[in-house]
Amino acid sequence: MSLTRTYRFSAGHRLYIKELSEQENFKIFDACSNPNGHGHDYSVQVKVAGDIDPETGMIISLQELDGTVHIVIDELDHRRLDIEVPYFEENQPTGENIAKYMWERIRVNLGDKLIHLKLSETSNSYFEYYEEDDYPYEH
Amino acid sequence: MGFKKLLTKKIEFSASHRYWNPGWSEEKNVSVFGKSAGPYGHGHNYSLEVTVEGEVDAQTGMIINLYELKSVMNDVLSDFDHKHLNDDNPHFKDLVPTTENIARVLWDLLEEKLLTNPKCSLYRVRLYETNDLYVDYWRK
Repeated sequence: MSLTRTYRFSAGHRLYIKELSEQENFKIFDACSNPNGHGHDYSVQVKVAGDIDPETGMIISLQELDGTVHIVIDELDHRRLDIEVPYFEENQPTGENIAKYMWERIRVNLGDKLIHLKLSETSNSYFEYYEEDDYPYEH
Repeated sequence: MGFKKLLTKKIEFSASHRYWNPGWSEEKNVSVFGKSAGPYGHGHNYSLEVTVEGEVDAQTGMIINLYELKSVMNDVLSDFDHKHLNDDNPHFKDLVPTTENIARVLWDLLEEKLLTNPKCSLYRVRLYETNDLYVDYWRK
């Protein structure tokens, strides 16, 4: 059994490789390399799995889940990721890397309970991150 | 290689509930369940998505007739829709009506009714409490 909760945050970013010229960056990243950056309203679906605690009727207390996820969201919300968040100074702030970063930060507190993370950058693009062997659905 | 064939139908219902463990003090209930422990309950617009698995019948082109599935779901939901789950639904007399427990109870009720149809089996019950929170229940 799993429980999935959606959270939202907004952040700015620019995709570019420092060593390359603006024209070369534009070839690779197109409009995402705009020198002054741009932003998105992200939403992230966090899925946790486990057995129902017979006393509370819950897999996880929502206070614990919200508290854990908000630690990460507070680091990202209303920030320019590639300038203000150290991890993204070294790693491109793409949906793929943001999803991986959130996964690793949330796992610190939730451990194996976290089984799937889905990050939507727009209503048309989303990124999923999970350990294939632990995912309960057949593919 | 085989292909997986799934069909999902969604039905919405509205119900109220209260999170309360009678074995605990009022302080503990409030500290664990927060606002959800309010004495008179509160409500949600739930959305139930039932997924069944099976082979596609060559003559009808269906895994299950949607009218049959709709009727099974509505039968089961008659004890949930516009009810106070703690007070009106016997399954929650001694069970906290969390989204997790409601999904599990719905699985049991749906599975029993679907047993009459040998051509399909229940694959997943997904229950949304709000747009931002849902539970999946399945059995391997």
